[in-house]
Amino acid sequence: MTSRRKLTRRLLRQAAAAAGAAAWALAAPAIVSAAEPAWGDLVGRLLYDGKPPERQKLKVDKDVECCGKFDVRDESLMVGPQRGLANVFLYVRTRNLSIHPALAEAASKQVTLDNKDCIFVPHCMTLWVGRQEYYLLNRDPVAQNIAFSPLGDLPANIILAPAPGNNVDAVYKFSRAQMVPVPVACNYHPWESAFVLPRDNPYATVSGLDGSFRIAKLPVGKVEVQAWQERAGYLEAPGWVKGRFEVTIEPGTTDLGTIKIAPAKLEKK
Amino acid sequence: MPPPASRLWPVAMMALALAVAGCGGPPPQFALNIEGRRPQSVSPKQREAVEKALRKLFGTPDEPEVAEETHLRAELLAMAAGPVGGDAEGNQRGLFRRHCVTCHGISGDGAGPTAAVLDPYPRDFRLGLFKYTSTRGGAKPVRRDLRRTLLRGLPGTAMPSFAQLRSGEIEALIEYVKYLSLRGQTEFYLVELVVDGDEPLPLTMEFVVRDGLTPLARSWAAPEENAAEWVVVPPPRPSVATPESLAESVALGRALYAAKPSQCVKCHGPDGSGQGEETELYDDANKRKKGVTPEQTAEIAPRFRLPIQRLRPRDFRQGVFHGGAAPEDLYLRITLGIKGTPMPGAGAAPGVRAVLSPEETWHLVSFIRALGAGAEASPSP
Repeated sequence: MTSRRKLTRRLLRQAAAAAGAAAWALAAPAIVSAAEPAWGDLVGRLLYDGKPPERQKLKVDKDVECCGKFDVRDESLMVGPQRGLANVFLYVRTRNLSIHPALAEAASKQVTLDNKDCIFVPHCMTLWVGRQEYYLLNRDPVAQNIAFSPLGDLPANIILAPAPGNNVDAVYKFSRAQMVPVPVACNYHPWESAFVLPRDNPYATVSGLDGSFRIAKLPVGKVEVQAWQERAGYLEAPGWVKGRFEVTIEPGTTDLGTIKIAPAKLEKK
Repeated sequence: MPPPASRLWPVAMMALALAVAGCGGPPPQFALNIEGRRPQSVSPKQREAVEKALRKLFGTPDEPEVAEETHLRAELLAMAAGPVGGDAEGNQRGLFRRHCVTCHGISGDGAGPTAAVLDPYPRDFRLGLFKYTSTRGGAKPVRRDLRRTLLRGLPGTAMPSFAQLRSGEIEALIEYVKYLSLRGQTEFYLVELVVDGDEPLPLTMEFVVRDGLTPLARSWAAPEENAAEWVVVPPPRPSVATPESLAESVALGRALYAAKPSQCVKCHGPDGSGQGEETELYDDANKRKKGVTPEQTAEIAPRFRLPIQRLRPRDFRQGVFHGGAAPEDLYLRITLGIKGTPMPGAGAAPGVRAVLSPEETWHLVSFIRALGAGAEASPSP
């Protein structure tokens, strides 16, 4: 074979490989180069528009020798000292969103649900399905149980032996995103509860004790956001229908300001 | 008999009984599963959209459809579906209606005409949860598990043995139970998507299949395809042939029963009577019927076909076990737990370390069987 034919063959092979790579890149999920679309953060602050009620003490009647010494209180309504409304899930409902590549890199491999002092910590969290595992930890000297049943996914009913001593942990992998947070219970200690929201993108967050929230690096443009709180379910606020609102994300930061939530929407049912 | 949950209950029962008996009426249809919801919360348009999608994917009680993703076998479904008797070509039909419907209902909702008087209720296949399996974690049962239940029945419940059926008929019923389960879970998904999620109508079937049905179908395939990861085969039991070795095993089991990691005592009680500290126990089907206060529970009740039913932890002294009393059966229950109930598994599962070793599990089995034979729960002084 002449060297010219060899060169042509090699060029053709490389072209085919490049075409293949391009085709694969087009078919790949929506993590795109940071250069092309613009990105922005969505921020805001949820305010409990009233005087928050005192958190009820919960009945601790199992493993009392260990758990009885803790002041275990109801976490279904968490209001901070400046009346910030905490533990509200805010997540994007819009499908097929572009995902900023830095988010994929920054995402931890696991999000941890801890058992400490006979409660689940944290009470609320989000999880990126396919990228993050649900890491379950027990740091209490009593056996713990973690039970949840996500719709259309495998149910879990996991025993974690007492700690300290062994590294008592387990891992659960969600197979699908959920539309609303999944309640997590303990069959041994009925007062324990937590919520986890598996989503198929990183655009989900939980408001802090100051009521503030940030969904970072959203693609610029219109997105629909869902707000959900344990007592209210879909959280109602002015202009929100079924806890949903549409917002146009600008480059930089889009600030929704202070959103007042009426205490009547957060009454214990 | 517990009071009916709805005033329409006697009417519904009669209508179903007539439909089932086939008094020359129209063929029975699947009723939309909106249990737990207020009926007014589902609009006629939403109802129609969900029912249409389900008909497309799964057909009707007389004419089942097989969506390709489910890998269900149409010829087996044909034997189980339809009215009792043969069809024009002389093929067997109607096995499900002949043998199963009176308890499990036409859609496998566990609320057939006789269900209200049964404790425990018949299985609601639509939840995709099966209690007595050989699969780890939250995995679906393998065919062998469903076959076992059909052939042996569930002692201590109203589920009889169907060993008198021919093996082909058993396989057809297994397939139909899978079909009803897949259909039922897809229905839950669709109702959430359309009613809670306000999915724009008409539905994009390609999305529904990809997002809803395919993951469910995969969950059924997983334990069949990957038995090493998902299926437990009890290892050989350490010998208890001599009275001494049995007594030793029972003693070790007794210690484990009360020990902290296992927590058996919490539900099953220090004497194995099932009267432990945990008293308010419900399985997943009935947990949904519970409100926070008794008034709330009463308010929710009319939205379900059957009244709320408590779960009673097994009383080991009776020696009767729904999943079977053989050592291997008890080994599986302790290792795997019972899906859809508070009973957790103590064995390993994907991502989960075992709390009890196989040897420890066998000793616990010895102890539990000994309780059924009249042994004392506490160590003798």
